[in-house]
Amino acid sequence: MKAGGVEAGEVAKASAARYGINKGVAVLDFILRILAFVCTLGSAIAMGTTNETLPFFTQFIRFRARYDDLPTFTFFVVANSVVSAYLLLSLPLSVFHIMRSAAQNSRIVLVIFDTAMLALLTAGASASAAIVYLAHKGNTKANWFSICQQFNSFCERISGSLIGSFGGVVLFVVLILLSAIALSRR
Amino acid sequence: MKSGDSATIDVPDSTASGGATAKGKGVTVVAAPRAGGWNKGVAIFDFILRLCAIVTALAAAAAMGTSDETLPFFTQFFQFQASYDDLPTFQFFVIAMAIVGGYLVLSLPFSIVCIIRTHAAGLRMLLLVLDTMALTLTTAAGAAAAAIVYLAHNGNPNTNWLAICQQFGDFCQKVSGAVVASMVTAVVFVVLVIVSAMALRRT
Repeated sequence: MKAGGVEAGEVAKASAARYGINKGVAVLDFILRILAFVCTLGSAIAMGTTNETLPFFTQFIRFRARYDDLPTFTFFVVANSVVSAYLLLSLPLSVFHIMRSAAQNSRIVLVIFDTAMLALLTAGASASAAIVYLAHKGNTKANWFSICQQFNSFCERISGSLIGSFGGVVLFVVLILLSAIALSRR
Repeated sequence: MKSGDSATIDVPDSTASGGATAKGKGVTVVAAPRAGGWNKGVAIFDFILRLCAIVTALAAAAAMGTSDETLPFFTQFFQFQASYDDLPTFQFFVIAMAIVGGYLVLSLPFSIVCIIRTHAAGLRMLLLVLDTMALTLTTAAGAAAAAIVYLAHNGNPNTNWLAICQQFGDFCQKVSGAVVASMVTAVVFVVLVIVSAMALRRT
């Protein structure tokens, strides 16, 4: 069966190339997961260790600022911690995908959890962004004044911790895309 | 159909598998019609979900956009008019939900093509990527607005931010309803992304 032999050879070459790209995608997935873990953990720690006490005493304004003075920031710390714990736990599954590039069901499980974590992380990051914006600018119509004028380093910390979180969001989008590419090229 | 061949795969009776006659091609011919039928069902489900998401996204944008309230009486210290453009976060919410609603309407033809061509992997991949970005945008808008709505309902004693809902009841109700609608849209997007990933697996 000559035709069968030639076809078998072509199929073997195509599947070897596909196997190589799948392995590359799995390695990239692993690296991005580690990066996202570092980003979200850094954000959680940066927001969680905020504590600024003003040295002077004023009559009307509170002289201490911490992240748990605002419930939104508490949610931010919790969400980032949960997402970074999930990323740590999903690293073994990612290593498994590097070794077995043809695994499909476990990739679907990873996509489902990645999507849920993306939603959670985005919710935490954008809710905090809204409050940080309010802390910087205040709002005259609602008589909410900007607290950044008193608490400078607190404001800097909370603004900086948003960067890691939004970086994690972008990485999650790329992770979902990589899983989809690996699924469609099995 | 030799029964003594141990190296071949056991293909069940041709009545069950839909007429696979060649032994070598038995597995792939059996798999395609079943996967095609499953994919078609998934694509129809995707289309219906998109229609639901359009309704909720546009409802959220409309509810927030028409949330003007003017109090009938005059008070000394508080503003007696509230509208969504008093808060930049709510402006972002309206714009983001309008963009998401527009994207959903534009993605309906692509979804219909996916129903017709059940093995279009590239199109499904494109829809998955765009759906993920739309999910991120919806969740961002909804969560930011939810943070402000929470503040409007409860205030914050630590920062001396007062709850404005006590004066503006209707405004608060409309705005809270808009946030709920956007969160429902986000859930629908999560399901859309997962369904697209499952459909990609079988193309």
